[in-house]
Amino acid sequence: MFEPFTDVVPSFFGWLNQGPMTLTIFLHSIIVLPMLWIYKQEKARLEQES
Amino acid sequence: MAKISVWSDNRFWQRSAAWITGFAAVLLIWLTFDTAGQIAMGTDADLQAGVTKRVPGPTVINYKITYEMSTKRGHEVPVIGEKEMFFGRDDYSEEEAGALLHLGKLGSQTKNCMNCHTLLGNGAYYAPDLTKAWLDPAWQDGGTMQAMTGKSTKEEAMAEFLQHPSTYPTHSRMMPDLGITPEEAKGLVAFLKHMSSIDTNGFPRNFGRMQGAVNGK
Repeated sequence: MFEPFTDVVPSFFGWLNQGPMTLTIFLHSIIVLPMLWIYKQEKARLEQES
Repeated sequence: MAKISVWSDNRFWQRSAAWITGFAAVLLIWLTFDTAGQIAMGTDADLQAGVTKRVPGPTVINYKITYEMSTKRGHEVPVIGEKEMFFGRDDYSEEEAGALLHLGKLGSQTKNCMNCHTLLGNGAYYAPDLTKAWLDPAWQDGGTMQAMTGKSTKEEAMAEFLQHPSTYPTHSRMMPDLGITPEEAKGLVAFLKHMSSIDTNGFPRNFGRMQGAVNGK
């Protein structure tokens, strides 16, 4: 799942591309986790308004 | 209390969309600048100091290039070695080498090499991939192409072939004569040599291990 970093020039994007799961996990964390947070905030707001 | 549905709430989707769009925009702009740095061409000073650049400077044509397996990276990488004669010279200045590569690049576009060949992943697979053509064993000393063209160096054999491709039966799908002049051929060979020195993360895959392979098979 994770492979050693072997790029010539180390970079953040190189790290993201090292294995099939690295990019997937990164994007899911960065997109879905804040959405959960937004979801909770909106739920609290709607409950307060109702 | 009425049942709350966040999924049908506009603000939830607006904020999620704003987050994803904004984040993706930042990531793509960052990626653009990161890539620009990675593919920036090196200089003659880098080559002399032995600094490894993904895309070496034009004066790499003064050096011997080999393709060696890197066990760490799991594929072959171009290795720039000591000086090597290129059309009888190994002292091309940065300007001369740059002009030669420029001529070759324009030539490759004018003659539409990509209509049949692939260069750095762009083009067709009707004819062999040219990304690592300079490293192809067929053109090396003792390879078939030098004997066929009657030349004693790789660059002269390539230049001769490019000027009269239809004279040499290399393949069932023979390359047509494109009216390439001797000067253009020299530029094209320099262009190919420089391209082979680019670290392409092992693309095309398995190139160094294919013997007598055709069209990437």
